[in-house]
Amino acid sequence: MQVELRHIHKHFGAVHASNDINLTIPAGSIQGILGENGAGKSTLMKALSGFIFADSGEILLDGKPVHIASPADAINHGVGMLHQDPLDFPPMKVIDNFILGRNGGLFPDRRTAAKEFKELAVQFDFSIDPDAYVDMLTVGERQQLEILRLLWLGARALILDEPTTGISLPQKEKLFATLKKLAAQGMTIIFVSHKLEDVEFLCNRVAVLRQGQLVGEMLPPFNVDKLVEMMFGKVVSFGGRYPLTPGASTLHLEHISLEDVRLQIRDVTLDVRAGEVIGLAGMEGSGQATFLQACAGLVRPVAGKLSIKGADVTGQTHHVFKHKGVAYLPAARLEQGLVPGLSLTEHFVLAEETHGIFINRDQAIRLAQDRIKTFNIKGTPVSTVESLSGGNQQRALLALLRTPLSLILLEHPTRGLDIESTMYIWSKLKERCAQDGAAIIFISADLDEVLQYSDRVLVFFTGKVSSPLDAEKVTVEQLGQLIGGKGWEAIHA
Amino acid sequence: MRHLTKLFSVLLLAAVLLSACGAPAATEAPAQPAATEAPAQPAATEAPAQPAEFVFGLLMVGPYNDHGWSQAHYEAGLYVEKNVPGAKMVYADKVNPADRPGTTPAQLAEDLVSKGAKLVIFNSDDMKDSATEFAKAHSDVYVIMASGDQVWKDGKAYTEMANMTNIMGKMEYGKMMAGCAAALTTQTGQIGFLGPLINDETRRLAASAYLGARYCWTNYAGKNAADLKFKVTWIGFWFNIPGVTSDPTQVADEFFNSGYDVVISGIDTTEAVTEAKKFAGEGKKVWALPYDYIGACEEGKEICLGVPFFNWGPAYVTAIKSAADGSWTSQFLWNDPDWANINNPDSSAVGFQKGAALSADAAANLDKFIGELAGGLNLWKGPLKLQDGTEYLKDGEVATDFQVWYLPKLVEGMDGASE
Amino acid sequence: MRNNKWFNLGVQLAAVILALLFVTVILLLVKAPPLAAFQNIMIGSVGSWAKFSDVLISFVPLLLVTSGLLVTFAAGLWNIGIEGQITLGAIFATWMMRTLQDSTLPPALIIILTILAGMFGGAIWAALAGALKTFGGVNEIFGGLGLNFVATALNIWLIFGPWKRPGVASMSGTVPFDVKLWLPMIPDTRLSAWALGIAIVGIIVTYFLLQGTYFGLRLKAVGKNTHAAYLLGIPTWQYMMVSFALCGVFAGLAGAMQVTAVYHRLIPSISSGYGYLGLMVAMLVNYQAAWAAPVALFFAALNIGSIQLPVVLKLDSTLAGVLQGALVLFVLLADGVRQRFVKK
Ligand SMILES: Nc1ncnc2c1ncn2[C@@H]1O[C@H](COP(=O)(O)OP(=O)(O)OP(=O)(O)O)[C@@H](O)[C@H]1O
Ligand SMILES: [Mg+2]
Repeated sequence: MQVELRHIHKHFGAVHASNDINLTIPAGSIQGILGENGAGKSTLMKALSGFIFADSGEILLDGKPVHIASPADAINHGVGMLHQDPLDFPPMKVIDNFILGRNGGLFPDRRTAAKEFKELAVQFDFSIDPDAYVDMLTVGERQQLEILRLLWLGARALILDEPTTGISLPQKEKLFATLKKLAAQGMTIIFVSHKLEDVEFLCNRVAVLRQGQLVGEMLPPFNVDKLVEMMFGKVVSFGGRYPLTPGASTLHLEHISLEDVRLQIRDVTLDVRAGEVIGLAGMEGSGQATFLQACAGLVRPVAGKLSIKGADVTGQTHHVFKHKGVAYLPAARLEQGLVPGLSLTEHFVLAEETHGIFINRDQAIRLAQDRIKTFNIKGTPVSTVESLSGGNQQRALLALLRTPLSLILLEHPTRGLDIESTMYIWSKLKERCAQDGAAIIFISADLDEVLQYSDRVLVFFTGKVSSPLDAEKVTVEQLGQLIGGKGWEAIHA
Repeated sequence: MRHLTKLFSVLLLAAVLLSACGAPAATEAPAQPAATEAPAQPAATEAPAQPAEFVFGLLMVGPYNDHGWSQAHYEAGLYVEKNVPGAKMVYADKVNPADRPGTTPAQLAEDLVSKGAKLVIFNSDDMKDSATEFAKAHSDVYVIMASGDQVWKDGKAYTEMANMTNIMGKMEYGKMMAGCAAALTTQTGQIGFLGPLINDETRRLAASAYLGARYCWTNYAGKNAADLKFKVTWIGFWFNIPGVTSDPTQVADEFFNSGYDVVISGIDTTEAVTEAKKFAGEGKKVWALPYDYIGACEEGKEICLGVPFFNWGPAYVTAIKSAADGSWTSQFLWNDPDWANINNPDSSAVGFQKGAALSADAAANLDKFIGELAGGLNLWKGPLKLQDGTEYLKDGEVATDFQVWYLPKLVEGMDGASE
Repeated sequence: MRNNKWFNLGVQLAAVILALLFVTVILLLVKAPPLAAFQNIMIGSVGSWAKFSDVLISFVPLLLVTSGLLVTFAAGLWNIGIEGQITLGAIFATWMMRTLQDSTLPPALIIILTILAGMFGGAIWAALAGALKTFGGVNEIFGGLGLNFVATALNIWLIFGPWKRPGVASMSGTVPFDVKLWLPMIPDTRLSAWALGIAIVGIIVTYFLLQGTYFGLRLKAVGKNTHAAYLLGIPTWQYMMVSFALCGVFAGLAGAMQVTAVYHRLIPSISSGYGYLGLMVAMLVNYQAAWAAPVALFFAALNIGSIQLPVVLKLDSTLAGVLQGALVLFVLLADGVRQRFVKK
């Protein structure tokens, strides 16, 4: 299906989020959309998929002007969108969520639907239990579920807003293969991403947005430096590694065993030193999230001992950990990390140590302005967090970290951040390591990121945990094998 | 979850709205004879005298059209308007804090006074304190406190108030007749009494029903008093409050399922009748007797043995006339039926409307019983023991009004709690 | 945002007008004169100082209850148990006063102790609903409904049992307290300036609590996203419990006012439905403390003013309830429509 956007404008108050966008995407192509955080990518996609109305402009599908009144309407026209942040998920079963939104009788044919769901899932090699509850799924699995659902609903143009950040390398490869196959069948794919190499690999054409405007288009072969310059309006240089000499023991795990509904982690012993960065790699749901939460006191180990700076904290609550200088940033930012409805200022006030009973407004606003500047958040002190772009929400989340901290636990810290911000955030985090002697443990689906920023790496595979690997001595390919369950004998030898 | 609460709030509101709409949102009161229009008088030598207007107020605890206690009073008010020249009623209904948050009956009475009322009727026990407060604060306004005992010199709660009169009908007789009709009809010899909450009034009414039943059981049916089972089950309030009271529907069902084939209702609502109708529909031989309102049998004619009812009109007419002409005295009136015709709307304070299900035989005997009562038969006469075996009345002793009004326990022969 | 404020105000106004129209249509349907009806409600509520003082009597408990509910709503809780909390407040207050009424303590002290007992009683009952939710996993809506029933049963049992008046236990309630134990009233009215003062202080405290304190902000965070609040270091279930208890304090205070300032005894329907009315007010003001007082006053005026309907127009006075319900419904609906509109 050919998709055409003509003179699209969208304002949010003073922000001109889409400024006269003209874009034609031929049927069967994979269109990449690039742009820094807050450039207006999601806004444009939402306008196309009926989640918001453009102030003015026209949408043409296969040359015919259409009026898209709602997401349901969009899917009837064959346009489906996979959101950057999977929306509000009620506690319902996967299969029920899957059926949701399907036109037709009062009584859905669950059996057929379940069969089709399984067939589709097999095709993509997604392993989601149709009888699991959606709120138990990881961010990555929710994205997978959405993809399946949209395909099943008959989408002929598929919009994916940063789909690759939550899923693992093999899954990503599978997804890309499928997208290419779908494109070959005439499906139009719009692929929003910050990852240049993904775009490079996958897309037939690329459009770059900056501050609401379409600043350029490019066809292969792509000139990556040129693209980066278009995105940021300047040349961005990539930093190197900054290894540190680790200090005293910060977190000590002794024969820790963990269990959750799906897997068991047995007998992990680990010593994390001040200033050290540990990356956790693994496919979504291999146990790394459970492990990280155990380090935060959110999951109780079933056996073993856990101490922070020498003090035994086994079995204590997260708040005890917090008092000892542990911070945890969850992956689902709007669902778990931030409070929709509250402003940035209110978030910073909540995150800080309190003094007295009454909030000092002026001081709070100053604090907020300060943080907004430091973390380069596109927003004002009174902006509510849900009005921020995905990347800016992530920055806000990182801006909530208190000083000083002894241990920072991060799930997908740069998910949705553009390249420049990713580098900036990591420089901030590294600063913490150098100045306050904080240790960092983080999860990332991006193996490059894992290797780039970690000192040591733990690999997870269905609950199995590798011994710490020296990040300098592991290659991306090797890591990819390991998270797929191959080559474990070699590292343990 | 967010969606859930939103949905819930909308549902809650819809419920509030519906319940509010469910009650007739605004019903026009039946047309009233305009009080200022003088009835056409027979030609007289003098110019027809315009009777002086006398406005009286009526405070009702429930809706004026509740088919029960409050409606009986409302109709009595209309009766007064018809029978006392110049009388004009102003009223407020649903006078209770649940329906009118923040108000007290005394405050509403003042409102009626500001509309010209010179006499105010408080129709319910709920308003007892307010009536006293109001009467004391407004010695220039006459007060009728229905069902109260404040100005009963011999009563336990006597307070002198020249402007107040207590009026109550002797429902004891009505209940005796109900008991009699039940005893003459029952085939199992088991009568159930669906009681509200336990207090002196409800005890004496339940006991009256039993005394009437026992008398007719032994004297007309010719059976042994020991073979009559009479059980009182108290639900805990005047009507069903889910979760708080026992469910009267269930209580009635239990009666019918365990061999009690006649249920006498002592509560304000008609579960006894509806349940009896249901059981009769399934082929069982069961009957019921409702309470309070003359038309209560309508809901189940085929199983209704009759209904004892109040008729406040005549007493109100007398009282209002005396207030209008200045002959008012403070009294405690506990009015008898008019024994010449207990159902005479112009003279009898309580009556008994026979139901369609009462057999001709039983009806004849009931009439005989009423005749005996009219002739001076007093069932509140010794020897009579209380439920716990202590003596209540010695052989031959006749109970005083005081003893009856403040009956301490159920009497011997009755099953069920006394406290 | 562009004209957002005016737009919102316009939508709200439209909702109010729609509600009025709705009621007008109902009136016309039953062939009643709408204008006269509204006029009578006006006259009956603000037509004279005496009437207005009656409105204020009804305003006091309604405002107190609304204040409490704003706290639980901030924490994202539906404290349906509020009715029972009012009742328990009244019961505790009555209990304290019955215990002390024959003592030699100065009346003022007895009254103060009575009010404190009421606040305590309400808090306990609310804490119970909170405990059921926190430790028993019982949704506060169902727990609260259950506790309401228990409170009503307890109240009736006390009035007809242990606390019945000598002679005949009465629907009229327990024996009235001596006049010296009443909260002093403004001459020629039944209104207690003390009660009014307490209610106004109550809403002001609530306003600042929710707008200006760390406590209020944390409570809001808990209400909007419990999980994130927990990660931000807020002890979430403790905050929920505290918000329940606080609401209970307000409800209990309302119950104590009913006993010490209005009825001067315990009566069967002591809570008078203020709890549910308070829920409506809180929803209508969109959980904003600043608007609670005027809207509560308006609702109280409707309650009192509608008494004129049966007296003067022979109309059923449920009309006030219909109007109140319609207002909330239309405003909520309008809000839904507005949100759609703004998003698009
Ligand atoms: N609902 C809203 N209310 C107010 N402003 C909004 C809203 N949604 C988006 N914006 C603003 O519009 C601009 C574009 O946002 P958009 O979400 O389209 O960015 P994006 O390109 O998707 O960024 P990211 O890579 O961070 O996801 C941002 O400045 C954002 O703050
Ligand atoms: Mg985005």
